[in-house]
Amino acid sequence: MKKATKFLSLVLSLALITVLFAACSTSNKASSASEASESKTTSSDSSASDVSEVKTGNGTARSLDEIKESGKIVIGVFSDKAPFGYIDSQGEYQGYDVYFARRIAKDLGVEVEFVSLEPSSRVEYLETAKVDIVLANFTVTAERAEVVDFALPYMKVALGVVSPDNALITDVKDLEGKTLIVAKGTTAETYFSENHPEINLLKFDQYTETFNALIDGRGDAFSTDNTEVLAWALQNEGYTVGIESIGNPDTIAAAVQKGNTELLNWINDEIKTLADEQFFHKNFEETLAPVYGDAVLPENLVVEGGVIE
Amino acid sequence: MQDLGIRVLFEGNNFARLMGGLGITIQISLLSVLLSIVLGVLFGVFMTLKNPVTRAISRVYLDFIRIMPQLVLLFIVYFGLTRMFGINLSGEVSAVIVFVLWGTAEMGDLVRGALISIPIHQYESSYALGISKKQTYLYIIIPQTLRRLIPLAINLTTRMIKTTSLIVLIGVVEVLKVGQQIIEANRYTAPDAALWIYGTIFFLYFLTCWPISKLAGYLEKKWKN
Amino acid sequence: MKDLLTIQDLFKQYNKNSDPVLKGISLTVKEGEVVVVIGPSGCGKSTLLRCINGLEPVQNGSISLDTQVLTDKTTDWQSIRQKIGMVFQSYDLFPHMTVLDNILLGPLKVQKRKKQDIIPEAEALLTRVGLLDKKDSYPRELSGGQKQRVAIVRALMMKPEIMLFDEVTAALDPEMVREVLDVIMELAKGGMTMMIVTHEMQFAKAVADRILFMDHGEIVESGDPESFFTNPQTERAKQFLNIFSYESTQ
Repeated sequence: MKKATKFLSLVLSLALITVLFAACSTSNKASSASEASESKTTSSDSSASDVSEVKTGNGTARSLDEIKESGKIVIGVFSDKAPFGYIDSQGEYQGYDVYFARRIAKDLGVEVEFVSLEPSSRVEYLETAKVDIVLANFTVTAERAEVVDFALPYMKVALGVVSPDNALITDVKDLEGKTLIVAKGTTAETYFSENHPEINLLKFDQYTETFNALIDGRGDAFSTDNTEVLAWALQNEGYTVGIESIGNPDTIAAAVQKGNTELLNWINDEIKTLADEQFFHKNFEETLAPVYGDAVLPENLVVEGGVIE
Repeated sequence: MQDLGIRVLFEGNNFARLMGGLGITIQISLLSVLLSIVLGVLFGVFMTLKNPVTRAISRVYLDFIRIMPQLVLLFIVYFGLTRMFGINLSGEVSAVIVFVLWGTAEMGDLVRGALISIPIHQYESSYALGISKKQTYLYIIIPQTLRRLIPLAINLTTRMIKTTSLIVLIGVVEVLKVGQQIIEANRYTAPDAALWIYGTIFFLYFLTCWPISKLAGYLEKKWKN
Repeated sequence: MKDLLTIQDLFKQYNKNSDPVLKGISLTVKEGEVVVVIGPSGCGKSTLLRCINGLEPVQNGSISLDTQVLTDKTTDWQSIRQKIGMVFQSYDLFPHMTVLDNILLGPLKVQKRKKQDIIPEAEALLTRVGLLDKKDSYPRELSGGQKQRVAIVRALMMKPEIMLFDEVTAALDPEMVREVLDVIMELAKGGMTMMIVTHEMQFAKAVADRILFMDHGEIVESGDPESFFTNPQTERAKQFLNIFSYESTQ
């Protein structure tokens, strides 16, 4: 017993002294940190980068009434995928997905709170109801549809192939025996390895490497989502997207927690209603056209009323 | 075109946002370090107990924390707790919890090491002078333990600051993520912004960690026995 | 001279299943007497010293210093230990303190004496051992011999009635042994009561008033140094001394 109290006194004094020391050694840092965080709160609106405000339920998705009652809907978007979901220099969320998200909130009569998502954790966020809706360039796949409920699509993407003007590839047949650059884990990698084994694939881990590889001539062409290659070709003279659409077009849709039919139905109805005013075409003009210019036709991307022609 | 990249850095609130991100990084690591030190000292003493049960418990805890990647721990706390028990913690709180779990294990091991590295005859020669146990700890053992501990604790702090880049995966937007947001927002208009932004982030990390490392080195040198 | 330290039938065992380290030791040390304990490694001589100042609990028997019994449950070791100075084999200075702070710690914290009163004493003792110029040095800046001399001064600062030396030269390089032994020899001449455990036979012979030879936890032989070293009475003592006279028998 005596030994125990001795130990305790050792522990407490050690802890105290150590904390004091650490506090002294880091006090300068702490003050600069609080300054920095101050400037942050004043500079960005409440929607940006503040997850602590998320107060959704306890793992079960909120009902439509609960969302309305709380006056706030929590929507997970990308914060670093321009022009679909990103943060502008004022610290505001912007982009095609975000534009739709704001409209959902407006029509529900609630405020919107954005949560910055990473591709790998989108499903988790829905499953644990940490967000009400995911609107983060979420491509509909059969696998994902087993764990989340997808609403009607609001966008479609196919693969595009970009190549240098002096050796332009305009048909997939031109690629036979040639080297095609792809990024690992993309739909392009899956599509070409499954359907076109005659094409040599040069794979990279990082997106940025792929474009550099094309410029360096390490491959004859590069394939990924057509939105990407089109935008890139626009910025890089001497390169053209010879194949604008190949493979089955993927659809992109909002997703809610599995079984949250109420919210799902509401979103579907909303998408159908919005078709009357050609909402997604307007969205395209506002958010995508400034980036893609004439390179991309809205008909190649936009899905209106959830209907794919 | 040359100056486009650096212009992005100061466009709008971009720089303030970077600093804000750094603030989040520092707040979370600082809070975690302070809590880790207090709990780590307790855990360290706990580990020196000669009881086989407490030894087994601390061994298992230490190994578990070390084997588990921090990312997995973050997911367990942030998503797992909600999934299993309906406990919904914010990303920041989850991050602090995981960092404290980790820091306590690391710190505890350091404390244990520092405590057992004090030779037994330090205690004995103090007792032989008629110095009480309490005074022995106060004047002989704790000062020596602290000298061994503080440089290590400071190194743990810098490691924590660097590891905060993981917490973006549970939705906490820290300095690195802000940087990526800025880079991506300007991907089409200023592709070379990446170099400037990453350079700035590197510099910010350096500015934060360098003085801390320096301090650790200085103390280590000063207290070398 | 009166008896200062009296030990009767001291029995010590580290744990129940092990062999006892001390099997009924009885001895007395008179005031001003220098008793040197010798014997092979593991004979219990160091344990004996550690029992005297309470670093090791004993199972049976009694130790008393002057009129105080040390083997009570109620023994106030903090006050007893001030009367018993001890120096160990390992360099046991506190590494985070200067020489002077090492020396002053006991008087300041245990005896609550004023710093200005004890500094002259400390400096005088440091002068006696030839280390006054090292008073602001840290232990890491001292040689082994210097460290042991400081350790002796640190023990002396408590004004002990008896000094215990536990193989204080065993860890030293040979060239440093002398400087430490000289200090102890001088203390002996000054009339300090001492119990010394050592392997330095020449020194033992020179400093001791009485030699105790221990083996297997018992005092095998006891006598004045001259007769012990020239004419040991027991076979075990003869064998032990033979090890040290290896060179002369060649």
